Amino acid sequence: MREDELGRMYSEGEQIFGEGQEGDRMYVIQAGRVKITKKSRTGDMTIAVLESGDIFGEMALFDKLPRSATATAMGNTRVLTIDKDKLFQTISRDPTLAFRIISSMSSRIRRLDDELIQVKKNKLNICTDLDETCEYILEEAKNVIPAENGSIMLLDEDGETLSVRAAFGKEWNPKIKLRVGEGVAGDVLKTGKAELINSVSQDARFKSGSAKISSMLCVPLKWKTSIGTLNMSNSSNKLFTLEDLKMLRSLAMYASIAIQNAKSCAQLKSTTEEMIMHVSLLDVS
Amino acid sequence: MADPFILEDGSHIAVVGGGPTGSFFSIFALRMAKMINKNLRVTIYEPKDFSKDGPLGCNRCGGIISELLVQALAVEGINLSDRIVQRGIDSYKLHTDHGTVSIDTPTHEKRIAAVYRGGGPKGTMGQEKESFDGFLLNLARQEGALHVPLKIDHIEYRNSKPVLLSREGDVQEADLVVGAIGVKSQTSKLFEHMRFGYRRPETVTAAIAEIGFDRDILSERFGASVHLFLLPLKEIKFAAMIPKGTYVTICILGKNMNVRSVNEFLDHPAVAAVLPASVPYKIGCRCLPQMNVRAPGVPFTDRVVMCGDAGSTRLFKDGLGAAYLMGKAAAKTAVFHGVSADHFRREYLPVYRSIVNDNRYGKILFQATDLFKKYKTLTRGMLKVISREQEDQYRSKRLSSVLWDMFTGNERYKNIFFRTLNFPLQHDLLCEITKEFIAGKA
Repeated sequence: MREDELGRMYSEGEQIFGEGQEGDRMYVIQAGRVKITKKSRTGDMTIAVLESGDIFGEMALFDKLPRSATATAMGNTRVLTIDKDKLFQTISRDPTLAFRIISSMSSRIRRLDDELIQVKKNKLNICTDLDETCEYILEEAKNVIPAENGSIMLLDEDGETLSVRAAFGKEWNPKIKLRVGEGVAGDVLKTGKAELINSVSQDARFKSGSAKISSMLCVPLKWKTSIGTLNMSNSSNKLFTLEDLKMLRSLAMYASIAIQNAKSCAQLKSTTEEMIMHVSLLDVS
Repeated sequence: MADPFILEDGSHIAVVGGGPTGSFFSIFALRMAKMINKNLRVTIYEPKDFSKDGPLGCNRCGGIISELLVQALAVEGINLSDRIVQRGIDSYKLHTDHGTVSIDTPTHEKRIAAVYRGGGPKGTMGQEKESFDGFLLNLARQEGALHVPLKIDHIEYRNSKPVLLSREGDVQEADLVVGAIGVKSQTSKLFEHMRFGYRRPETVTAAIAEIGFDRDILSERFGASVHLFLLPLKEIKFAAMIPKGTYVTICILGKNMNVRSVNEFLDHPAVAAVLPASVPYKIGCRCLPQMNVRAPGVPFTDRVVMCGDAGSTRLFKDGLGAAYLMGKAAAKTAVFHGVSADHFRREYLPVYRSIVNDNRYGKILFQATDLFKKYKTLTRGMLKVISREQEDQYRSKRLSSVLWDMFTGNERYKNIFFRTLNFPLQHDLLCEITKEFIAGKA
């Protein structure tokens, strides 16, 4: 550290304070950068990178709780500590000293608000985009029932053909289209009854094509009437159980609601857009 | 009818003096006004160019920014970069006739800044350093203040508003005049002539000198410590050596220093022991500045307020800390309340008085220090207690922290005074003094 510098020097990666520790001081960065991280299930998550002049560690002064995050130096970083006792003494004589701490906290709340809205928006997108919703449902189904392939097929607007909206695994044909009553999925759609087939090759309804399927689960997705099917299959000798079928049926109930929501949302969006277009056309004429 | 003493959009504040007090006032007045969407015009009249080296740019001061002020400024967002700091200080070395002890910052962190108020002693220009006063004035300009390098020669009331005049013929009306003029008798007359009862503060003469060294020798000899001398010299209250880049600033405080004071001090054996014996040093410059020791009674009237050294400041210590406190208190009053004598009496006077009252405790503390440095037994007893406290990391640092806070200006004198009444501290001191006394008799 040079003779004409104030504060204390921390080297790359050195911890200034750790999450959960007791804190009785605040810090002001004089030079360099500080990374603020928080522990999460998937590892340490960086929540902010602070620069020279920024304040950090002020929360522990006010709420008296352990440090909410870890502060680590990024490269050589020089930091000045502010003692709690002296700070509060000074603030009690001159409350305006707290202005900057408050403004720094309020800009952080503002940033968090923005991030929160972003997160909410992302969640909402899943509900408004039909294909994304289907993928999300399939992801959930995969977590509940171990299967090698899976797909969601939905009725097209004509109400007569089923086509694949989302799928995983090797044995599926994205271009396959089935008419109502055709193939296993078409039949399930028509009857509205879930089926567990552990010997697919012997099932007369099965349209083999190039797909190599040995066992499958097929449950209908229903909203008033049938709107599609949720299919899981194995190419190997692995069999499904009755328990798997029950589980997939429960999932299908929620999945149907989500799909219907997404459909309604998309419809609403296009209607609104159409209306706006009409209005602007009127405006032009 | 609206109160004519409340500042409006476009109101003009004239700040006479662009030292730290004037700049602090301007910075905070402009920041606070922005917070409440008020648009104020602030003009700082300062003929001095702080970027000049030697006496031309200098504001004649030891140039220590206390731990408390460094922290407060950092919280305010005013960080002192290495361009302004000449040396970061993390400890004080206390020298007496009977030995030396070291007192460290509690966190072993450099939290005290040694700075130059101007461009530094003659010949130190071009070291890529900035003066503290220049830095603050620049900050005030960044906040929106206008710096006019003009000397104000007369202030008078016209239509119940103060008007500032200079020999160059410029006339400026102001809604508020801030007197941040220091203690110089010439400028004090500006406000004495306004007849609101302001009198220049009582002062004593201090002695300041700059001694030049080779940078390495200076670092090795003085390190990151301010060296404090409590010597049984009648005239001198205390003296300090403050290491900077290639100079050590010597500050001698006491009653009526004169040109010989610096040499007499340097010749004292305890001082000579600190200076490198074999290496010659040169005295770069010396001055005999005035120090405010008693604040004037009437520091304001309608549309005029006196701040910093021109008003009340802390006894012997932390003049920059007082400049910050008073400058900000005046700004707060002017922006959030108003600029009449009544507003200042209600909002500003309590802060002003708190410094004046605090100095009363300071006086008692310095009288006690006088006693301790005068009598060998007391000096030795004190040194023993401090060195025991410093050697044992688990021992409570009662006396060390009292001296630390007293000489660094880190704490109000009143709080320090009450800490000296602490029983265990008195007990420790009394034990060591008695031991010294018995040893002396034997």
